Amino acid sequence: MKRTGFLYDERYLLHKTGPYHPEVPERLTAIYEGLAQGGLLDQLTRVPAAPADLQWIIHVHTTEYVKRFEAACRAGKQMFDSPDNQMCAQTYETALLAVGGILEACRQVMEGRLDNAFCAVRPPGHHAEASRAMGFCYFNNVAIAARFLQKQFGLARVGIVDFDVHHGNGTQHIFEDDPAVYYYSIHQHPSFAYPGTGREFEYGRGDGYGFTKNSPVLPGQGDEDYRRLLERDLFPAFADYKPEAIIVSAGFDGHRDDDMSDTKLSTEFYTWMMQQIMAMAETYSSGRLVSVLEGGYCLRRLPELARHHVEILLNG
Amino acid sequence: MFVSRSMTRRVVTIGPEASIFEAQELMAKNRVRHIPVVEEGDMLVGIVSDRDLRSALPFRYFKEGISPEEKSKLQDLCVRDIMTRKVFTISPGYTIQDALLVIQNSKVGALPVVDESGRLKGILSVRDLLRAFINVLGIGQPGTLLCILVEEKVGQLKKIVDAITEMGVSFGSVLVARYWEEDKRAVFPYLLTQNVAHVKKKLKEMGYTLLDPMQWYMDQLPEEDRPPDQPKS
Repeated sequence: MKRTGFLYDERYLLHKTGPYHPEVPERLTAIYEGLAQGGLLDQLTRVPAAPADLQWIIHVHTTEYVKRFEAACRAGKQMFDSPDNQMCAQTYETALLAVGGILEACRQVMEGRLDNAFCAVRPPGHHAEASRAMGFCYFNNVAIAARFLQKQFGLARVGIVDFDVHHGNGTQHIFEDDPAVYYYSIHQHPSFAYPGTGREFEYGRGDGYGFTKNSPVLPGQGDEDYRRLLERDLFPAFADYKPEAIIVSAGFDGHRDDDMSDTKLSTEFYTWMMQQIMAMAETYSSGRLVSVLEGGYCLRRLPELARHHVEILLNG
Repeated sequence: MFVSRSMTRRVVTIGPEASIFEAQELMAKNRVRHIPVVEEGDMLVGIVSDRDLRSALPFRYFKEGISPEEKSKLQDLCVRDIMTRKVFTISPGYTIQDALLVIQNSKVGALPVVDESGRLKGILSVRDLLRAFINVLGIGQPGTLLCILVEEKVGQLKKIVDAITEMGVSFGSVLVARYWEEDKRAVFPYLLTQNVAHVKKKLKEMGYTLLDPMQWYMDQLPEEDRPPDQPKS
């Protein structure tokens, strides 16, 4: 059995969104309950969360943006940059705490104290751009983690797999000219779904050309289409790239019962997909894998999805 | 939606007496395919396109180059000799829709924009039109496309817009398209939000049918053009 880290902190529940907003604290409690009911909590190593050092955040976000976010929060603003980004007085601190916990998980994995980790955090991150909050996201958790692996541990090749049903525009843009980070995303086609980026012909730019890959999925498609695209696009790309560590942007909103998307994935498919990603981490990355929660809004399905996700991290 | 907003204002121009080699170099350097020909005071007298140049110059000029003797023979050929004199032009006050129709009917790749006295104000190319439509459609703005089936009667769009507006969601664009059933229309609001689940729920409660967008598109496509694994009718 693997030494799997689990990042969860009740303070992640303090970030509150407004009415009609699906990105709610209950998402995390559903995940926690799912792991508890599966008897998995005892098998996991809890990762402590402390606010992130700003030096890591400004490797990804502009200082101006971080200050603007903090100021908006302190001023009691209920919205930031976009109507999708509803917030409360605790949002800034919560976002810092999410990044801090994820970096701690990365550190423990890199130092060999953990094999891998699952970070159940809020707010999510992959839509956040260097200087703009978007799509429920404030700090780009995964991008900051990738920069941390580069700068703190000298990794020359970090692979990101983003299976949230929405394209991670922020992550892609942050690394689009950096060949030291490979960004792969599979998501609902941008002509139908938020945020309207992640088209098949986006491959990165400059030195990073060829180190971004997107697999758009048409509405109504499901397990078989995803499988075909992963086999065609992701597996050969990572076999070629051989990432030294893999970061997963784990979004469970492509599930057929999640009404945030029109894709029709089954619970079993998420299990299969995660097994493949784990196998790639074993083959290319000495097993080093950090999974970070992004979307996933079906409170009924999240417990089982999280349980299976973590079972794979524990058992391969 | 007016041409003056979408046209290129800094136009590369040339005089009628310039040699065709000058025109060719100017095109290559500025990466354009059309150069309006102007006389004093920016008065438009013609247009020269890369196609005009290709017809005037020997094919070898573009491949391996030509000998100095050959070149000096062509040196006397000037823009005036090869330019199109009857130019399709538009005015800055034309709408984008006007320009689209002119381009479609005239089969040219770019339209010089001139004022009432024939002075060149800009140029509108197919590329400029594409950019204008990318803007109109809101492509590139973060958002989500919905697909709603409505009965064709007055006031339907208003109800939908009101309902979505009440939920504090902004629109990037709205397209209304015909549907294969008579008396029905398909409405495509592009909403500037990720948070569409509650919008969909509300529209369903109001009695609207949300179409599976693939189903709608697929019915417009011949079977052989459909993506794999899509329902065949």
